[in-house]
Amino acid sequence: MDGSFRKIDIDQYDEDVLLESELYEPDSRDPAQVLSDAKQKAATVRQSLARGDTAGALAAVLDGAPYGPNVEEAKNLNLQTVVSILNSTKATEILNIVRVLSPDAQDTLMKYLYKGMALPGWGDVSGSVLLGWHEKLTEAAGTGCIVRAMTDRRLV
Amino acid sequence: MSNTLRPYLAAVRSTLTAALTLEDFASQVVERHNKPEVEVGQSKEVLLNPLTISRNENERVLIEPSINSIRLSIKIKQADEIERVLCHKFTRFMMQRAESFIVLRRKPVKGYDISFLITNNHTDTMLKHKIVDFIIQFMEEVDKEISEMKLSLNARARVVAESYLTTIRTHCLIPRFAVHLMNNELHGETWYGAG
Amino acid sequence: MAPPELYALGQNPTAISSHAFNANRTEVAVSLNSNDATIWERQGHEWKQTETLAEHDKLITSIDWAPNSNRIVTCAQDRNAYVWQQSPDPQTGRMIWKPTLVLLRINRAATHVRWSPNEDKFAVASGARAIAICSFDPEGDWWVSRLLKKPIRSTVLSVDWHPNNVLLAAGSADMKARVFSAYIKDVDKRPGPCVWGDKFPFNTICAEYTSHAGGWVHSVGFSPSGDVLAFASHDSSVSIAYPGADSIVYTIKLTSLPLLTLAWTSENSLIAAGHDCQPLVFSGSHDGWELSGTLDDPNANKTGSGAARAGLGGASPVGRLNSAAFNTFRNADSRGISNVPGSSGPSAESELFTVHQNTITSVRAYEGAPGDVARVSTSGVDGKLVVWDVAQVSPISVTSNIVGRLAGVRI
Repeated sequence: MDGSFRKIDIDQYDEDVLLESELYEPDSRDPAQVLSDAKQKAATVRQSLARGDTAGALAAVLDGAPYGPNVEEAKNLNLQTVVSILNSTKATEILNIVRVLSPDAQDTLMKYLYKGMALPGWGDVSGSVLLGWHEKLTEAAGTGCIVRAMTDRRLV
Repeated sequence: MSNTLRPYLAAVRSTLTAALTLEDFASQVVERHNKPEVEVGQSKEVLLNPLTISRNENERVLIEPSINSIRLSIKIKQADEIERVLCHKFTRFMMQRAESFIVLRRKPVKGYDISFLITNNHTDTMLKHKIVDFIIQFMEEVDKEISEMKLSLNARARVVAESYLTTIRTHCLIPRFAVHLMNNELHGETWYGAG
Repeated sequence: MAPPELYALGQNPTAISSHAFNANRTEVAVSLNSNDATIWERQGHEWKQTETLAEHDKLITSIDWAPNSNRIVTCAQDRNAYVWQQSPDPQTGRMIWKPTLVLLRINRAATHVRWSPNEDKFAVASGARAIAICSFDPEGDWWVSRLLKKPIRSTVLSVDWHPNNVLLAAGSADMKARVFSAYIKDVDKRPGPCVWGDKFPFNTICAEYTSHAGGWVHSVGFSPSGDVLAFASHDSSVSIAYPGADSIVYTIKLTSLPLLTLAWTSENSLIAAGHDCQPLVFSGSHDGWELSGTLDDPNANKTGSGAARAGLGGASPVGRLNSAAFNTFRNADSRGISNVPGSSGPSAESELFTVHQNTITSVRAYEGAPGDVARVSTSGVDGKLVVWDVAQVSPISVTSNIVGRLAGVRI
């Protein structure tokens, strides 16, 4: 006797069910636009870093970070830019830098930290660097910032 | 090593504290049921983004929060074959007795060694920060436990090998250096000296 | 400067799912994380359980007590709601609470219930992606409901009535706070225009707000005038929305854990509480909002056991064993806390530095007219019922790690 009908997920046909794509507002920008923005920002960040302005570089890259589907390339580029800033910062400066970030930027940074730690292959991301930043950011922005990293579906 | 352990545990502690914001939530899929949403996974909107905290490639914690339950999975450090066996036996022993640990899950999530399932009933009846302490303490202890077991296993193997080979030597006249060779092997050194 | 009055109603540590006082605050209906609601009567500084309302067969999620008509409505996860009315017992002549079943027509758990200001309707939020608006049908002698369905996409977690008895705010797990019209022809007079709109046929959506960072909307509340809507969501934020042409939403992001419940105390301030175990005070106006402090004075003398704390507030816990020795054994038994013999109360590290020892799930106005609330009551998972003086706001110290900041304005 064929029992395969028992395995059909009938709830997917419920018309009221909330879909993954409806959980957040999509980015209004065009994917190509997002990518060129990310590239532009990477250049700005390099300039800021050369001047030694880490806080400014971080604020720039965290502002309007790409999220949602179809912008994988821009997301990766932005992640690399963030990581390059994180890696080049002295441990003693971290707290002062995260303190001056806007609350929105702090939330976005927290998302990047978790994203960095979740990467399967590590590449140039070092666990101890991310953990150091995480500790300081939690000190500055509290557990509320972590809660927002959980609730916000606009994944970077 | 221990200089990354502290921020690692601190990150797990703060993330777990943030995730343990649970409430009673009746299933909106099946009527008159109340189940851990993180396990059911049928209502996307009551699940939150899973977060990973990692110290390095071999040691990581996955926290999957939802509205009424969270799942916390730990990947325990396993440097070699012996640690892998010990870790497997150790977690298996615990998971078979999961009901005595209350928050322990009977099976680990794929890719991890041990998982905990904490529901709103646990946070209602137990002190929240004590649950967090318990998990942190478990993470501290499990590494210690496994390396201790590894040490005692090696020591025991050495004694067994020595007494066994001593008997053989007296009877079969195996040269004494062979015993040394085998001893060294157990210490992780090889006779060809690559070690 | 009286400290907050603290009453431990739940047998340790039974959560209080919901609480509602009667009009003159001499009685309180609570549900202690069970299928029964219990009525407690104030006797001096104590509360004594007088009656049990047993009809539900699943966990009671919410209770509301209509102050003028003296009716209680309860709703539970068994998909039912009951309206309880006092009537004399035919045998003894004593006044007892009699239940009337409400035809909710929902097929999932009921989560929250509130009487409308005129007490002729009540709204039941539910997991069936619907809100049941119930009114009394004298012909059938029962409560009938009409459902608000569109466009709710997930469990409704809370509801709150507008003072005009027609508009209803609802917060739900699909991360939205909405304002609906719950106009029922036979009950309501046609309402005049207000900031939320001009015409209000049933199920009109007058406003819809999304939580800032995608958290479930745990609590909603209209300001005393009804012109402003506040909602607390799981992304640790509180949003205050001003509707109209120049629609403004102020969002305050907290650095602490999410808030679950809120209550307005005046047109310019509200009190919200949640997983952080202390009631926070927010104040502001059309020009901006900020976190102004907490009602839980961190420097107040906190003693370990509930008995000592209650003694301070001139109240003592209700009829149950509460000696130091009992506490010691109880903690050792239920929480694995061992004490050095001779030390009174649980060890310091197992106690939080707040009055509530676990999540606060409900905050409600206790004393004063709407718009001028002098005291509020809170209840929580730790089984405590606390009455706070809203004037006693302590500033939040930097060390306590709760600093709310205005996250900006969304228009």
